[in-house]
Amino acid sequence: MLEHIVFYSLSALVLLSALGVVLHKNTVHSSLFLGLSLAGVAGLYAALGADFLFAAQIMVYVSGIAVLVMFVVMLLGRASDLHLRQVNEYWFVALAICGVSSVGLLRLASARNATLSAGAAHPSTHAIGRLFLGEYLLPFELVSLLLMAALLGAVFFTHKETKEIAS
Amino acid sequence: MTLADYMIVSALLFLIGVFGALTRRNIIGILMSIELMFNAANLNLAAFDRFLHPEGLVGQTVAIFTMTVAAAEIVVGLALLLAIYRNTDTVYVEDFHLLKG
Repeated sequence: MLEHIVFYSLSALVLLSALGVVLHKNTVHSSLFLGLSLAGVAGLYAALGADFLFAAQIMVYVSGIAVLVMFVVMLLGRASDLHLRQVNEYWFVALAICGVSSVGLLRLASARNATLSAGAAHPSTHAIGRLFLGEYLLPFELVSLLLMAALLGAVFFTHKETKEIAS
Repeated sequence: MTLADYMIVSALLFLIGVFGALTRRNIIGILMSIELMFNAANLNLAAFDRFLHPEGLVGQTVAIFTMTVAAAEIVVGLALLLAIYRNTDTVYVEDFHLLKG
């Protein structure tokens, strides 16, 4: 019973705040809704027993990505954006695409009726660490390389070109 | 709770993300919608891992890799966005037509 209450309230939080992200006119509010939606997804991870994923979601998404997006939203744009239309003129086509795919996806989902196996979930951090440094060592190192490249790319793209005075 | 419930939630989250990515005019809105889609995929991975393969952790591991790639993507995306904004002075995607000359 408690499981049902937790699942439905978290799902409602995730979906409603995702709708807020997509439909809200003010981009600052939409980025706040993004943080709320990502926190709701973290709660669903906790309900699934994925404790390390829950912590990583909170640290990477809610306190990293959502805050970064909020910074950029406040750097860009002007006040007149609040009075402009934020949705382009093809919204009904997008709605039709989403409607058609929702039929397929929901039929696919409802065919799955696996229930949860008995017993509580075990803490997973130790085993995930073993997988990272054992079986998934190569992707783990590649991902660190990717993060390095992203760091350098971010610095490179945002770097303002200054005229060389000397020479 | 069955697997179908989690799959329905993640499908709806993914479709909301698709709708946002297709309709938002503001490029930051598009980036945020892409983040929603990443999260829907991650939620599916975690749910499959818990329901169909409870003794292994491969789904969660792959979800963490996805999360890392998403973080790299949003960082580079926002940096590019700042560079574009500096050149074109707009955040609306229909005004990004620099390549047309």
